[in-house]
Amino acid sequence: MSYSEKIQDVIQSSDVALFMKGTPDAIMCGNSERALGALRRVGAPITAVDILVDAQIREDLSAISGWPTIPQVFVKGELVGGADIVEELERSGELEQTLVDKLGENYWEARGEKTVSLT
Amino acid sequence: MREKIQELLERAFPQAEELRVIDRTGGGDHFEVVVRDAAFDGLPRIEQHKLVYAALDEPWRQGAIHELRINTKGTAA
Repeated sequence: MSYSEKIQDVIQSSDVALFMKGTPDAIMCGNSERALGALRRVGAPITAVDILVDAQIREDLSAISGWPTIPQVFVKGELVGGADIVEELERSGELEQTLVDKLGENYWEARGEKTVSLT
Repeated sequence: MREKIQELLERAFPQAEELRVIDRTGGGDHFEVVVRDAAFDGLPRIEQHKLVYAALDEPWRQGAIHELRINTKGTAA
């Protein structure tokens, strides 16, 4: 499978996909940390992907999403945004509402983090 | 680079009610932009930010911007 196919697979099959620099255990960028922090605070079930393992991943991801920066957060296959938007949505309560709408009101029961490797 | 970004945004959002570019670190590569424009009214934030990215496509591709924080506002509310 190509990176593009693997990326699509993660986006489509994950409740909440977070493409980030590093992993939740070893975050390599402040903006990835901001997005991860917001998702943690609302109790999201996070599937994290480290884009730093191969520069091609980032290129393919941005080609798919039309979004040039990292991190990128997807909920049920749809791009929600990067660190700025996710933090803003958290503050306004819209992030939680989006998760309720798309994953059901008990979404937080599945909260936690798993890391998926694309290599 | 701050001036360049300001210029590109002014070109893309000529009617903006507020348009500011802040060099967050003083190093000329970490920026925050604030744009208030009627073009954002009714648009989801993700689409608002895409308009800003599109306006800054050239310096972005050149790698001149290391970090960009975007703060977009509509004029409606």
